[in-house]
Amino acid sequence: MAEREPEVGFKKETVSKLLSSFFKEEKTKLSGDAALLMAEMLRVFVQEAAVRSQKQAETEDCDQVDIEHFEKILPQLLLDF
Amino acid sequence: MSVDRDESQQRLKAAVHFTVGRLCQKSGEDHRREFSRQVIAAMAETAFRQSDIFAKDLEAFSRHAKRSTVSTEDVKLLARRSTALSIYIQNKSEELNQEQRDLKKKNTGKRKIRDTEEESRE
Repeated sequence: MAEREPEVGFKKETVSKLLSSFFKEEKTKLSGDAALLMAEMLRVFVQEAAVRSQKQAETEDCDQVDIEHFEKILPQLLLDF
Repeated sequence: MSVDRDESQQRLKAAVHFTVGRLCQKSGEDHRREFSRQVIAAMAETAFRQSDIFAKDLEAFSRHAKRSTVSTEDVKLLARRSTALSIYIQNKSEELNQEQRDLKKKNTGKRKIRDTEEESRE
């Protein structure tokens, strides 16, 4: 049986620890499902950043995505999220 | 004490960087345009900082609802700025619920079989 390649993304545990580290209050916790959804959210965030940067590089006729391309798409990315 | 916190933050940053690198690699393969290492590092840093903003928002939402545990409802609210994102997250949430319902049904089924087996033995 061919193994289906798992989709690349953030691990639930990583996301849980990451977000928890930023909570201001000690009593604030993250539910398991919320952690899974946030892993999705972060994955989408990074994918958007990647694809938009690639499109920018394409517009400028560059073979590789460089920092200037990322910097140009960053403001709108942050506004959209 | 703050040294421990720095260490755990460093580990988290490294974990984020790793996944960002893999996502960039995949995107690079799919769209045939690769990312410089500098870009990957910058993206990882951005994702890390954005997580801080997300976390603070989530905490505020749950507190507003008088809860101490952040729920999927809070995450849905977080995704409100983009309609496409909002729909995507809602769908994912539905998928999760469905998976859990299916899992419960499977376990209940097993239990019923076990119960009827025990009954017939008595």
